[in-house]
Amino acid sequence: MTDLRIQIGNIEFKNPIFTASGTFGYGNDVPDFVDVSKLGGIFTKSITLHPREGNPPPRIVETPSGMINSIGLANVGVDHYMREMVPSYSTIGTKIIMNIAGSTLDEYAEIIRKMESISSDIVGYEINISCPNVKKGGMEFGVDRSLTAELTKILRSLTERLLIVKLSPNVTDIAAIATAAEECGADAVSAINTVVGMSINPTTWKSNIYTVFGGLSGPALKPIGLAAVQKIFHSVKIPIIGIGGITGSLDVIEYFLAGASAVQLGTVNFQDPSTGERMIDELETYCKDVSIDSISSLVGKVKN
Amino acid sequence: MLIEQCKIIRNEEIAGGIWEMEFSAPGIVSYYTGPGQFLEILLDNKWSFTVRRPMSIANVEEKRITIIYKIFGRGTTLLTESKVGGILDILGPLGNVFSGWQGNYVPILVGGGVGLAPILNLFRECQKHQIHSKLIIGAKTGREHFMDHDPSNGIFLTTDDGTLGNPGTVMPSLKKVCADIDNPMVFACGPLPMLKGMQDFVIQNKIPAQLSVESYMGCGTGLCQGCAIKRRNVKEKAHSYHERYSLVCMDGPVYSASEVSFD
Repeated sequence: MTDLRIQIGNIEFKNPIFTASGTFGYGNDVPDFVDVSKLGGIFTKSITLHPREGNPPPRIVETPSGMINSIGLANVGVDHYMREMVPSYSTIGTKIIMNIAGSTLDEYAEIIRKMESISSDIVGYEINISCPNVKKGGMEFGVDRSLTAELTKILRSLTERLLIVKLSPNVTDIAAIATAAEECGADAVSAINTVVGMSINPTTWKSNIYTVFGGLSGPALKPIGLAAVQKIFHSVKIPIIGIGGITGSLDVIEYFLAGASAVQLGTVNFQDPSTGERMIDELETYCKDVSIDSISSLVGKVKN
Repeated sequence: MLIEQCKIIRNEEIAGGIWEMEFSAPGIVSYYTGPGQFLEILLDNKWSFTVRRPMSIANVEEKRITIIYKIFGRGTTLLTESKVGGILDILGPLGNVFSGWQGNYVPILVGGGVGLAPILNLFRECQKHQIHSKLIIGAKTGREHFMDHDPSNGIFLTTDDGTLGNPGTVMPSLKKVCADIDNPMVFACGPLPMLKGMQDFVIQNKIPAQLSVESYMGCGTGLCQGCAIKRRNVKEKAHSYHERYSLVCMDGPVYSASEVSFD
């Protein structure tokens, strides 16, 4: 029997298959045919201090081996989330990490203060410092080493729960930002968020996305994600959660070999939100075939 | 809702550029609630097409579903190449249904271009319930039509180029049909300019109407939040969610004509 359990900070997850923020709702609103209890964990969509309508359409467009989105952080806001969503987590059967986004340091802090004032089954927070979709906020934290450090330090002082910083690939040196997060107390980093992209309609000469630019996701991103994870792996000691273009269990293995201790599935959930639960059996089979007892022993083992 | 591997029974061109496909889908049929609902079809499993294609259900017969699709781009061209006996990965049924057609109204069913599938489905449903409806189907040109222009039986075809049926868009025919009926209720699906014209007409004339809206879709399950459509006459607030925008996959695709904005 292969051990698929993994550890981040003081929390043990039953397996390393998580779902990525913005691709799996709040975890309690996915289609009935999905058995979320099989997943290692769910990262919620980004939650902000106030509710957000999101961007005008068009918000998404298909691209080769991927898609571009610019949803604009449409979400119910933290108060509604606390009242209507959080109670359902006591019976959901998997671990919930709440993704939070803000446009000022205070907004991030206020969300965590509110969440920490209630009792909940949320095991941690993933900090969206890198969402390229919103014109205001987000972006500047993720591209600036000192702002990332300042934000991480403030939020660290507010919670004992897991603090995971989600990194943007749209930077010169992603490992430097990861190091800043580690130094200021992050328990883990997630990498990568979407890559800034664009798609143009040659008939109308307009961008296919209302906000002109959007975030590219899907299999087109996998090589970028793998390279980012490998770079970060050589710079930090905290666990890395690999994200970017995972559609099958062998993609998960690649991310582990590059240095990830867990992964998040994103765009694949739009084709089939039950992909993650099927991957778990496949991972066990792979580990058995290559005679390893624990999936964690694969972390960073790429032969360079 | 579920994902089912559906065996293709029939896939043929029924008019110029218009195709009809029938497949076996016992699982999806078991959840089907009526005309208006749609499916999300995965075109291949190699990520050449990231997002599933939304397709309205045109007919349900025992455990089989029929769709009607128009060749539109690379994806629908690929769909025409699907062989009988082949398997399609389909998510469904999704969305809400047309309602009110069993009430005290004469249903006027209007379909244009790719939007005729749910309208034909509702037409058959009306026939099954012995409700006398009127059917208006629009196309650019005569070769895109596969039904007969039959005004005495309440079936009106229109063509933009006047090569078959009533010349022009569906609008003049709709106005004429509505003028002859005391209590019409309009049910429509079609391209955006058609829906917009339809909306202006029914609101002005206080005719109850339901419009089935087409939208670019990322998932069909509400997860991606991609298929937003603006609601009509909404008070702008500093902070809100789901008040200014509706998601076609979850709240639609069928809306009351006064509910959504096509601007």
